Amino acid sequence: MNAILLSAVWGIVMMFSGIFTTSKTAIRNVAVVGLVLLVLGNYADMIGYHLMTVNVHKMLYFDTFGLLGNLIAFGSTLLYVLLSGRDMEKVGHHLAEYFALIFFVLCGVAIVTTFNTLLMLFLGIEIISIPLYILTGADKRNLKSNEASLKYFLMGAFSTGLMLLGIAFLYGATQTGTFFIDDLWSGKTAVTPLFMAGLLLLLVSMAFKVSAAPFHFWTPDVYDGAPTVFTSFMATIVKVSIFVGFIRLFDEAFGDSQEKWQVFVAIIAAATLFIGNVTAVFQQSVKRMLAYSSIAQAGFMLLALLALNGVAKEGIILYAAAYSIATIGIFAVLIRMKDYTFEGFNGLARQQPVLAATCTIFLLSLAGIPLTGGFFAKYYMLSSVVATGHYLWLVIFAVLCAAVSVYYYFRVIQAMYFKDGDGATEAEPGLGFKGLLVVLAVIVVVLGVWPQSLLGQLSRLIYTW
Amino acid sequence: MGTTQLLFWFLSILAILGAILVVTSKNPVHSVLWLIVVFVAISGHYILLDAQFLAIVNLIVYAGAIMVLFLFVFMLMNLNADTEPQKNRWLKIAGVVTGGALLLVLVAALKKADLKAQMAEMGKGDIGLIHNLGLVLFKDYVVPFEISSVLFLSAMVGVVVIGKKAEEDKTTLGSQKYGG
Repeated sequence: MNAILLSAVWGIVMMFSGIFTTSKTAIRNVAVVGLVLLVLGNYADMIGYHLMTVNVHKMLYFDTFGLLGNLIAFGSTLLYVLLSGRDMEKVGHHLAEYFALIFFVLCGVAIVTTFNTLLMLFLGIEIISIPLYILTGADKRNLKSNEASLKYFLMGAFSTGLMLLGIAFLYGATQTGTFFIDDLWSGKTAVTPLFMAGLLLLLVSMAFKVSAAPFHFWTPDVYDGAPTVFTSFMATIVKVSIFVGFIRLFDEAFGDSQEKWQVFVAIIAAATLFIGNVTAVFQQSVKRMLAYSSIAQAGFMLLALLALNGVAKEGIILYAAAYSIATIGIFAVLIRMKDYTFEGFNGLARQQPVLAATCTIFLLSLAGIPLTGGFFAKYYMLSSVVATGHYLWLVIFAVLCAAVSVYYYFRVIQAMYFKDGDGATEAEPGLGFKGLLVVLAVIVVVLGVWPQSLLGQLSRLIYTW
Repeated sequence: MGTTQLLFWFLSILAILGAILVVTSKNPVHSVLWLIVVFVAISGHYILLDAQFLAIVNLIVYAGAIMVLFLFVFMLMNLNADTEPQKNRWLKIAGVVTGGALLLVLVAALKKADLKAQMAEMGKGDIGLIHNLGLVLFKDYVVPFEISSVLFLSAMVGVVVIGKKAEEDKTTLGSQKYGG
C-alpha cells in the first residue's frame, strides 16, 4: 500500500511543484526525491513496515512477487529519470506535468502488480494507459507524435472494451458472482464455454497491452512516433510491470485450468518471437528496431506465462531487471544521437568511447550473450518451459529466434566500431551521464556474472510466500 | 408473458435495432441519434434490473452529455455522408469474417452457458437505490472508489498538457510578428 499512496501523493506534489518553481532542475530534483521515497517505501512494505493500515477488503494482496516487481519498476524509473530526465525538458514546456503523469503511471503499476480482484486490475491498467496516451502525444507540434497518440488511444480503448467484456463473462461464469481472482475457479471442475470466452478475451486484451503478436500492430508506430524519452519509459518499465500483473492474473485465477489455455499462449509466444525478430532485421531506424526488439523480448517473457512455475516467476523478475536496465541505457544513448538510423551510429566508438562501450554491453545483454544479465534471464525463461515437460518445440524455436536477434543487435555494434563516420551526438554528454551509463553497464554485468547472489535471494523470497 | 417480459423483449429489440442502424446509417448525425435510442433502451434494462440510479446516470451522462459532445464534434468538423472515406472492399470482407468469427464464439459460449441461478435481482425494488448503493460503494468498494480518483486526476492533467497553449508559442509568434 505504501507504493500506491506515495506515488499518488507525489504525483500531486509534482503538479504543485510546477506552480511554485519554473526551475527545471528543481522540478527534476523533486521527482528524484519522490522516486527515492517510492523505492524506500516499497522496501519498507517488503520488510513489513506500513505507512498506514488500510482495510483493502482483500482487493489488493501484497506478496513478495508483486512487491519485487514494484521494486524493479521504481528502481528502473529512478535510473531512467537520472539518465534521461534532462531530455524530457526538450519535449515540451510541461515538465512538472510529465513527471506527475509518470508518477500516476507508477501508481497504476503498483496496483497491477498487487491486485487481487479483476476490478483493481482494470483500474490499474487504465491508470497506466491514460497517462501513456498523453505522454505519447506530448510533442504537440510533431505530427508523428499526434498520430501515434491517437492510434494508441483508439486501439487501447478498443482493447479495454474487450477486457471489460471478458471480465463481465468471468463474473457471469462464477456461481456467486465475484471479481476476486482466486474465487473465479472455486466450485468448478470443468471449463465452461462462458469461462473460456472470458479467459480468452482477457488474454487478448492483456496481450495487446504487452504488445504480443498478433496484437502488436500499434507498437512500432506508437514507439516510433512518441518522444524518445517516453518510448524508453513505455517499452521498459510499463511493459515489464504489466507482465508481472499478467503472470499474477493467470497464476492465481486460471492456474488450475492451465492445460486448457497453455496452447494459446504457446501460439502467441511463437508468433511474437517470430514477428518481432524477423521484422526487426529489416528496420533502418534504430528506434524502430528497438520497438520490434521490445516485441521480441515480450515473446521471451511470454514463456514465463506459459510455464507458470517457480522458475518462471524467478525468471520474470530477473528478466524484468535485465531487460529494463539494458533498454533504458540504449535509449538514453539513442536520445543523444542526431541521427536515429543505423548509419547515425557509424564511428561512435571513436567519438564517444564510453557511450559506445556501455551501449555494446547493453546490446549484448539484450541478445543474450553469456556474462550479461540477459543471458541468465533468457536461460531461466527457457528452463522454465523445459521444466513443464511439454512445448520443447517452442524452446528450440525461441533459441533460433534469439540467434536471429543477434544479427540486428550486432548491426549497431558493427556500426559503432567498424564503420567510419562522425557518430554525431547532439551535445557533448556530461560526466554524470557517462558515469551513470557505466553504473548501468556494471549492473548488467553483475547480473550476468553473479546471478546466484540475486537469484538465491529471489528464490528464497518467492518460495516463502 | 408478463409485463416485465414484454418490456424486456421490446427494449432488447429496440437496442439491437438501434445498434444496427448506428453502424449502417450513412449520415453520422443519424448514427448519433440512433445511439441515443440504444442508450435509452439500455437504461430501460437497468430499470428492469432494479438499478434505478444507474439508469438515470446512464441517461444523463451518455444520452445527455456525451451525445452533445458527439454532435458538437460533427458540427465543428462538418462531417456528412460525402466526406466519409471509401474503405477497401477486402478490408470490409476481412472485417466481416473476423467479426463473424467473434460472434460465433460468443454465441456458442452464451448458448451453453449455465445460467440457471438467478443472477439478477428483479422485483425487490431497493437494491439499486442511492442509499444502498452509497453504503456498498463507501464500505466494500471504498478502495477502488478512491483509487479511481487517481485515474480521473491523470486524465485531467492530460487535458491540461494536451490542451494548454505553450507560453513559448506566444513569444515566438510575437517575435515573428514584430521582429519580422
